Amino acid sequence: MIAPDWFRDDRLPHIYCTGCGNGTIINCTLAAVEEMGWERDETVFISGIGCSSRAPGYILTDSLHTTHGRALAFATGVKMARPDFNVVVFTGDGDLAAIGGNHFIHACRRNVDMTVVCMNNHIYGMTGGQGSPTTPPGAISSTTPYGASEPAFDLAELAVAAGANYVARWTSYHVKELTKAITAGMQTPGLAFVEARTQCPTNYGRHNKLRTVPAMVEHLRSHAILVRKYERMVAEGVPIPEGAFTVGELVRRSRPAMGVRR
Amino acid sequence: MQGNAACAEGALAAGCKFFGGYPITPSTEIAETMARKLPKAGGVFISMEDELASIAAVIGAAWTGVRAMTATSGPGFSLMMENIGYAAMTETPCVVVNIQRGGPSTGQPTRAAQGDMFQCRFGSHGDYSTIALTPNSVQEMFDLTVKAFDLADRFRVPTFLMSDEIVGHMRERVTIPDTVEVERSRPLAEGSLPFEAGADGVPGFAPFGSGRSVHVTGLTHDERGYPDTTDPAAHNRLVQRLVAKVESARRDIADYEVTNLDAETVFVTYGPPSRTVEQVMRDRPDDTIGHLRLRVVWPFPEFALREFPNAKVFLMPELNMGQMVREVERHVDQPVVSLPKIGGELHTPAELVRALEAHR
Amino acid sequence: MKLVIDESRCKGCNLCVLVCPYKIFQEGTELNSRGVVTPVLDRPERCTNCRLQALYGRMLCGVCHMICPDQAISWVEERPFEPHKVEVEF
Repeated sequence: MIAPDWFRDDRLPHIYCTGCGNGTIINCTLAAVEEMGWERDETVFISGIGCSSRAPGYILTDSLHTTHGRALAFATGVKMARPDFNVVVFTGDGDLAAIGGNHFIHACRRNVDMTVVCMNNHIYGMTGGQGSPTTPPGAISSTTPYGASEPAFDLAELAVAAGANYVARWTSYHVKELTKAITAGMQTPGLAFVEARTQCPTNYGRHNKLRTVPAMVEHLRSHAILVRKYERMVAEGVPIPEGAFTVGELVRRSRPAMGVRR
Repeated sequence: MQGNAACAEGALAAGCKFFGGYPITPSTEIAETMARKLPKAGGVFISMEDELASIAAVIGAAWTGVRAMTATSGPGFSLMMENIGYAAMTETPCVVVNIQRGGPSTGQPTRAAQGDMFQCRFGSHGDYSTIALTPNSVQEMFDLTVKAFDLADRFRVPTFLMSDEIVGHMRERVTIPDTVEVERSRPLAEGSLPFEAGADGVPGFAPFGSGRSVHVTGLTHDERGYPDTTDPAAHNRLVQRLVAKVESARRDIADYEVTNLDAETVFVTYGPPSRTVEQVMRDRPDDTIGHLRLRVVWPFPEFALREFPNAKVFLMPELNMGQMVREVERHVDQPVVSLPKIGGELHTPAELVRALEAHR
Repeated sequence: MKLVIDESRCKGCNLCVLVCPYKIFQEGTELNSRGVVTPVLDRPERCTNCRLQALYGRMLCGVCHMICPDQAISWVEERPFEPHKVEVEF
């Protein structure tokens, strides 16, 4: 059980909508922090702007709620100045891949020792539901009323290509696996990138025929294919269903890392 | 020693332990010197992917309790503006060195200008206040960098060293003391809230790891650091304090040099044009010509202008189209003449003498 | 142990109903004082954690606790002969 003293009780209940996946991801991350045995005074949470990035405001540790897209740059400064701190970055799909794209690829390249949890809800949630670089083609959002016409990013593949030491993707349905993945990432020296596909029932679900919270979570679960199974399907020539994505640990390697505590 | 190198030496002497930067002419030498010397001094040098990331890393490092700085020029300065606003809002002590060059845009990378003077004070959105220092010699590049760190820590505000390509690239003798006195931030007292101001309007500083679990955010926040965006009173309190903590200490922060207090024609300068004025005054000793040289430009010390009771006209040579002259104009009744010069070359003594004769 | 849904935090998303492997939750029907329809415990005796956490000394299952976005689900020590129901906590 996640110890309740990790939360700032005077600020709960939080501002997240009913059934927002971000709350689940916070739970998983804190469970992972507990699993690692990190102390409150040596853990720092850093975030950008967006619904995902409101998370550190509810967690009782030192935290830095920074400007849009720049969380990884701030985190690099914190970790390089004090490698003994445990740094976790909360970010979202827009914050990381749109405005923060440059910082994302450089943080992966540098392999700074931190854990990045990206709450990918395929939309710009906080500002009311505009399309983001991860909105699936054809999806409706307030800036793509005729269906998104741009191809979407695959954030985990980006991280693999840019050089992160640990990359995994799960959804907010797979709470146990996600917690294990975040824990594994925290244990791996170097940049650990965990993409968590989550539901935004209010802004994404409502306009894309997934009106109830369980419906959207079901959608995430049913479109998730384990990496091994995906590779098998591709090798055997089985067609991949529309909208499916891989989940699991995509890469774990030991490229040289920066800012690792000695 | 080169001006830029002296600036880096000043930072090291002041105990700077983090530099995050991106190369840009004419400030690159600062980054290069820091890259060589900072690791040996136990600090961290990191080359970030752009200026936005540089200032972000500096702010992150500052929150771990180390002295952090970055150095850039015009185009990079513009990129940093959002996060400079963030540093002002979160009251993060940091030092930003701007070796100004010809602008706007890419402009004249290898020529001097003083075109960012208003930008360092008003560049980011919203109301806040900052401190800006202007050296005019290599020795001052050293001294004022040390002072910048102390002021940043004392007022918890991003502090700017507004130099330019002339001072940055010139070579002069420097005296570097063996040790330099540093004044760090006041720590956060037990029982105080992280953003609760002391008597001087500045909250105590509790860097990460000091056990206070501080939540730092760029959103409007209350004294606990928690976002409180809808309460007009909270926003009013916070922003007024951010401005007042520096503005109310104007006299304390001010640093300027005056010559010939009884003068009737007074030159007001900062940075390299002051050297031309000094040359003019050496060439023609004349008690009716006075000189006010500002070393601290923001917060603007309007009381310094009143040190010249007999002044009939103020002349202000600047390497821009007349920026700080606006501040002088609004504080005095006497006529103020702007002597702008852009193009990268310093005012010559002959030009200033011509202006002198035309207006005395 | 007894499972408790904190009514001051629950927002009625019913994710716990979706994920419980033992189907101990059911969607509620009554609005509470905050205007939220909280889930009700349909078959709480099937909850592994409630039954066996004391025996094993660690949390078992706990998927509802992890997935709840509002941190509204937790377990408390059960006093003997106490009726098992959703407890109202403010």
